[in-house]
Amino acid sequence: MSEFIRETELSQEALLEASMVERPEKNEPLGPLFWICVGWLALNIIGAIFANVLPVQSPLNQDYNFVNSAPSLHHIFGTDDLGRDIFARVVYGSRVSIAVGVGAMVIGFGIGAPLGMLAAYRRGRFDTFVTTVMYVLLAFPAIIAVIAVLSFWTPRSMLKIILVIGFASVPLVYRVIRTATLAIATKDYVIAAKVQGATDRRILMKELLPNIAPIGISFLLIGIATVVTLEGALAFLGLSVNPPTPSWGNMINESRTVLAENPWLVLFPSLALCLFLLCLNFIGDRMRSHYDVTEVKL
Amino acid sequence: MSTNPDKLLVVNNLATTFNTSAGPLPAVGGVSFDLNKNETLGIVGESGSGKTVLARTVMGLQPRTNVTVTGSVLLNGHEMVGVSEDEKRKYWGTEVAMVFQDPMTSLNPVMRIGKQIDETLRVRLGMSKNDAKAKAIELLELVGIPSPSQRYSAFPGQLSGGMRQRVVIATALACSPKLLMADEPTTGLDVTIQAQILNLLEDLKEQFHMSVVLITHDLGVVATRTSRIIVMYAGRIVEMGTTREVFTNHRMPYTRALLESSPKVSNPSHTRLITIPGRPPNLLKLNQGCSFAPRCAYATDRCHQQRPELQIAEEPGHSFACWNPLPSKREAATR
Repeated sequence: MSEFIRETELSQEALLEASMVERPEKNEPLGPLFWICVGWLALNIIGAIFANVLPVQSPLNQDYNFVNSAPSLHHIFGTDDLGRDIFARVVYGSRVSIAVGVGAMVIGFGIGAPLGMLAAYRRGRFDTFVTTVMYVLLAFPAIIAVIAVLSFWTPRSMLKIILVIGFASVPLVYRVIRTATLAIATKDYVIAAKVQGATDRRILMKELLPNIAPIGISFLLIGIATVVTLEGALAFLGLSVNPPTPSWGNMINESRTVLAENPWLVLFPSLALCLFLLCLNFIGDRMRSHYDVTEVKL
Repeated sequence: MSTNPDKLLVVNNLATTFNTSAGPLPAVGGVSFDLNKNETLGIVGESGSGKTVLARTVMGLQPRTNVTVTGSVLLNGHEMVGVSEDEKRKYWGTEVAMVFQDPMTSLNPVMRIGKQIDETLRVRLGMSKNDAKAKAIELLELVGIPSPSQRYSAFPGQLSGGMRQRVVIATALACSPKLLMADEPTTGLDVTIQAQILNLLEDLKEQFHMSVVLITHDLGVVATRTSRIIVMYAGRIVEMGTTREVFTNHRMPYTRALLESSPKVSNPSHTRLITIPGRPPNLLKLNQGCSFAPRCAYATDRCHQQRPELQIAEEPGHSFACWNPLPSKREAATR
């Protein structure tokens, strides 16, 4: 009998130990590919900002010795039908593309995200009202609205394009952030923080924001990618920045007439766009798994 | 404001009704009870009997829409029903705190556990960063977390369920509340850890001079740790009394059915567990009589027609709601 008791005591202790097992805190490594992507993005952004200082030819300069030429030593990406250097135009074009992509998303998130969080947290009439308005806006095809506004709001400038696309993206951002917040706002830890006397502002900033951030960031990156392509589509319709200012989008657009003779003209801006988006998405994905503390890593 | 200084909590005719699309759902239907200082009160009942809604209503925690609360909750003299959230916030944490059912979801997964505790200390008690950290580590040690200064910077995902529930308790105790509501604090934990957590709550209750409301469906949990028990059924109190009275001299058939349906170690092996026939009632379609009548072996026509109110039993503080109560011990003896 006494042996039996000792045995159970031992197992009690063992159980207590087991309940206190410490799990290692070890983040998933970011990996070399992550840093290659960061490097590529940095290169893109530096190129966009310092294009006039860097040893890049003028994107408007026409070299009549090389018209519609393939890549060569003079023009490493080749030239277009007006003899303009494609490399220079890709570098300068990134200015418009990156600025529109990031700028529009800053507006979209700046308005949509706080509204979405507030609506999902407060619920009630405010939520009903804002959600109804946003869903009505969502029901209207955004591309039509963007085209309509840009057609009449002349002369077009980059700022106007950023504003229009930015505002058009608000309902989408609102819906994603509101849904994400709804899922978190009813969690016990939010209620727990509330009954510890946390104010609404604290709950929004410390409990909700960090928990919806991963969803927000992934959507932000997809959003930037979508806006860059949307700017291309607008350029295709002649509704983006006025030529001859290059953007990746309007370069792809202009090249459609000479696609058969000069594929380089469509290849390089497309490649630049593609790599930019790929890097953004890859960075977002790696960062999400690297900084994720919610899952136990063994 | 409070008439009786010994009463920490006075609940009077409290009712919580959810306005659903299928009609009003009376999750708590007119409940009155009180709680003394330094007392542990157990609230037991089946799933869906309104225990959790009652606890949350007492705390003043309801969804912002589609709910109607009537009655009164006096917490240490402060009314909690029908007051603004800002008003209630003054008492949350310092007067009343809550331990939740599932420790897996009651900690913010992206905040270090120490931060979750000292956050409260800094906001509510205005402590400095260093003081709050020292106090948080002290609290972690108090709830039995080994090497608390290292665990201070751990994330909830790195702790086991039992450890997390200890952290939840530490968070709740941060501002030394006078009342601790523990809503099924051990349901999400395995049996060996359950006893540890319950013993911890008991120790802390003494240390902090708190009152505790222990909500559970497990009668074994309340048997030794509470001084009084409330038995709930379909959103109402059906029996209330000292733990001893409720366990040994219960009058309401539901209480007996509940007690009989818990397994006993003294039973010979392979004893078939007694269950309560039928299902808990649909709160949307409550009958006008006793809500337990459809499942009750003793039910008469009157039980189906007329709802019994709580009536005083022989012992002081013991009351039950039943038309055909089981004979009391004294009655049984004289028979």
